[in-house]
Amino acid sequence: MPTGAYRRLNPATKLALALAEAVLALGVRGWSGPLVVIAVCVGVTIAARIARRSVLLVLASIPLLVSIVLVNTFLYPGATDPIVQLGPVRPTWTGLAAAVQATLRVVAFGFSVVVLILTTEPDHLIADLERRGLGRRAAFVVGATLRAIPRTTQRAGQITEAQRARALDTEGRLWRRVRGILPLAGPLVFGALTDVEEQTMALEARAFSAPGRRTVLRVFPDSATQRVVRWAALLGALALLASSIAGVLEAIP
Amino acid sequence: MSLVLAGVRYRYAGSRTDALHGIDLEVPSGSVTGLVGPNEAGKSTICLAAAGLAPATIGGHLEGVVSIDGVESSSARPHELAQRCGILFQNPATQLSGTAPTVWEEVAFGPRNLALPGDDVVERVTDALAALGIESLAERDPTRLSGGQAQLVALAGILALRPALVILDEPTSQLDPQGTRMVGEALRRLVRENRTAILVVEHKTALLDQLADRVAVVDQGRLIREGPTDEVLSDPALSEHGVEPPPRVRVRSALAGAGLRTPREADVLIAELTR
Amino acid sequence: MIRIDIERVAYDYPGGVRALDGVNLAVRPGETLGIVGQNGSGKSTLVRHLNGLLRPTEGQVLLDGSAVERRHVAELARLVGLVFQDPDRQIFAGKVRTEVAFGPRNLGLRGAELDRRVVEALEVVGLAGAADENPYDLGYSRRKLLAIASVLAMRTPIVVLDEPTTGQDLRGVARVRAIMAALAAEGRTVITISHDMRFVAETVRRVVVMRAGRIVLDGTPADVFAAANWNVLASTYLEPPLAALVGARLGVGSTPTEASLVEALGRADVDAG
Repeated sequence: MPTGAYRRLNPATKLALALAEAVLALGVRGWSGPLVVIAVCVGVTIAARIARRSVLLVLASIPLLVSIVLVNTFLYPGATDPIVQLGPVRPTWTGLAAAVQATLRVVAFGFSVVVLILTTEPDHLIADLERRGLGRRAAFVVGATLRAIPRTTQRAGQITEAQRARALDTEGRLWRRVRGILPLAGPLVFGALTDVEEQTMALEARAFSAPGRRTVLRVFPDSATQRVVRWAALLGALALLASSIAGVLEAIP
Repeated sequence: MSLVLAGVRYRYAGSRTDALHGIDLEVPSGSVTGLVGPNEAGKSTICLAAAGLAPATIGGHLEGVVSIDGVESSSARPHELAQRCGILFQNPATQLSGTAPTVWEEVAFGPRNLALPGDDVVERVTDALAALGIESLAERDPTRLSGGQAQLVALAGILALRPALVILDEPTSQLDPQGTRMVGEALRRLVRENRTAILVVEHKTALLDQLADRVAVVDQGRLIREGPTDEVLSDPALSEHGVEPPPRVRVRSALAGAGLRTPREADVLIAELTR
Repeated sequence: MIRIDIERVAYDYPGGVRALDGVNLAVRPGETLGIVGQNGSGKSTLVRHLNGLLRPTEGQVLLDGSAVERRHVAELARLVGLVFQDPDRQIFAGKVRTEVAFGPRNLGLRGAELDRRVVEALEVVGLAGAADENPYDLGYSRRKLLAIASVLAMRTPIVVLDEPTTGQDLRGVARVRAIMAALAAEGRTVITISHDMRFVAETVRRVVVMRAGRIVLDGTPADVFAAANWNVLASTYLEPPLAALVGARLGVGSTPTEASLVEALGRADVDAG
C-alpha cells in the first residue's frame, strides 16, 4: 500500500478496524488472535511510514509487560512443570507460556490503538461520527477533553510555580512534598470549576443548546467497499469472540 | 432601540441581597455605550442580565424588563437569545470552544450549532472575519494565538451569529498594550461598518473615550449617571465612583487647574497629538 | 537589604525558543523598578530567574554577590517574594488568614509570630476585616490584594509584583501604589511588571523596557519616556504617557507624569514672563 492510503480511509473505517483488532487481541483464546493483529498492524505501520513512532509508543508499555511476565512465570496457579528451582521460587513452563501469550495480547492491543491514533485526526473522527448521528454534546465532550489536556498541564505548571514562590518545597524531602498536595490540587480544581461556569456561559452564548443536528461542513470520502469492510471486521470479530467463549475454537492454536 | 433595560432588579442564586437595584438603560442600534464603575458594582451583572444568561443559564431572580430589538428576553431560549445578543468575557481561553482545529472552524461553531445550510455558514464566517480584519488568521490553531488575537477570534465567533447587540465585559483586561490596541482598532472598524449596538465594560477609560458615544456609571448596583462620553468622563465626581478619567481629561484638568492652559487650548493640543 | 546582579543572562525554553538574550541588569538594594514590554518580551521569564523558578542557560544571577544557581526555590523564597498576576493560580485555603499564613509557615514560622505576620500583611493590603472570609467570596480585586498579602507576610527583602494593576479599579490601583510606597519606605527592593505606562511613570524611580529578550531602555521615567526614545518605544509597540507627549510638544522637556508636566510648564511660564 502506498503511504497515504490507510490514512485516507474514512475515519469510521479506521475506528472499526481498531475495535475489531482489539477484540481479536484480547478476547479470542489462543495465539492466533494476537499474532494476526500484530502482523496486520506491522504491515500497516510499514506501509503508512509510521513504524518507528509506533514501536516507540508501544514500548511505553514495557513496565506493564515486565510485571506481566514476572507474575505469570513465577506465580501461575496450579502449574507443575518447573523450569528451574531457585530456592523458594519456582518459575514454570506453563506460567512462561501464559506470560508470553499475555505479553503478545498487550502488544497487539497497544499496536491497534497506536495505529488508530497515528493515522487519524481526533477532530476528523469526531466530525465523522457526528455526521453518522453522534450527539453534539458527546462530540463536544470528547473533543474538548482532548484539547483540555495541554491547557490543564500548563495551568498545573503555573500553580506549581506560584506555590513554590511561597516556599512550598518541591525539591526536598519526600514527606515535605506530600504536604504540597492541597496547595497544588486545590487551585487546579477551583480553577476548573470556575472555568466550567464561564465555558458553559460562552457555549450558551454561541447557541450550543439549539435543537437539531449541527451543520456538517466536512464529509470524509467513503465507499461501499469500506462499508462492507467495516461491517465484516466488526461482525467477524464478534463472531470469533462468541466462538471462543463457546469453546468452538479449541482446535486452533 | 436595540437594548432596553427597564427597572431591572437582579439577585444571584443563593444570595440574600440584590446585585442590581432597578437599572434603566438603553443602547440604540448603531451606537456604542460604555459602562464604568468600581469592581463589584454590578457591571458584569448588567451584562449577564442584558445577554439573558441571567437568569436563563446561571439562575437567580430577575425583575423588570430586558428587551432587544423590541422582543423581551424573558421568554426566549438561550439559543434564541444568542442570535440577538452576543457576549464576550475577559478570559480568551474560556471563550473559545476548544474543539476547533482552525480559527475558521472556531468561528463556524455558532452557525453550525444553529444547523444552518453550509453556504450560510461559510458566508457568515467570511463576513465575521472580514468585519474584524482577521482573515489572515483563518488557518491558524486557535490555541496558539496571542491574547489579543484570541479575543478577536472569540468576537468573530459571536458576530457570526449576527446579533443585534454585542456586549463586551472588560475585553482588554487580560491583554498587553498591543492586544488592547488590536481589539480597540477592530471595534472601531466594527462600529464604522455595522449597525450593531455595542455595550462595553472597561476600566480603560481611554479606550471608551475613543470608542463610545455614551457612557453610564454604575456603583453599588445603581446607575449613577448616563450621558455623552465627554460629559460623563470629564465629570470631576467620576473618581468618587472608583473610575479613573481618561488621560485626555486628566491632562486637561491638570493644565487648567494650574491655570496654565484653558480647557479649550488643552483639548486642541491633545487632539493634534492623538490623531 | 539585597543587591541583584543579572549578568549576561540568556534563557532558552525547552522547545528551543530563546526568551532572554544577553540581559545585564544591576538593581541596588531598596530600588523601585518597573519592567515594561509586550507579552513575550521576556519580562516574566526574567523575574522567574530571581527566585530560581528558572535557571539561566547562560550567564548568572547573583543575590548579594552569591549565585542563585544551586539553591532551592524554597530557600530563595526567603529573599525574593514573587506575586503572580492571576491570584486564582495560588489560592487554595478556606479562609483568608490561612491563605496568608501559607508562605510564612513554609518558612518555618509558628504560633504568635506567625499570627502577627498575617495580621500585619492583611492590614497593609486593606483586608484586615476579611481575615475569616472565604477567599472566593472576595471579588477579583480583593483576591489580587490577598495574593499580595500572602507574599508580604514572608517579609522578603525583594518583592516582585507581576501585573498588580490589571483588572483593578481605581481604589485597587491606589492601594497597590500605597503598598509599593510602604515597601520602599522599609528599604525593600520592589520590582513591578506592568502594562500601564502611566502607573509605572508615577510609581517607580527606574524603568526597564524589554523587547525580544533584551533590555532596550533603562533609566528614570523622564529618561525613558523622553522624545529621543519614542522610536525605540514604538518598536516595542509601547506608547509614552500622554503627559510626556504634551510636554514634548510644548517644548518643556520630558514630563512623564501630569505633575511633572504642570511643574515644567509653570517654570517655563515663570521664565518667559
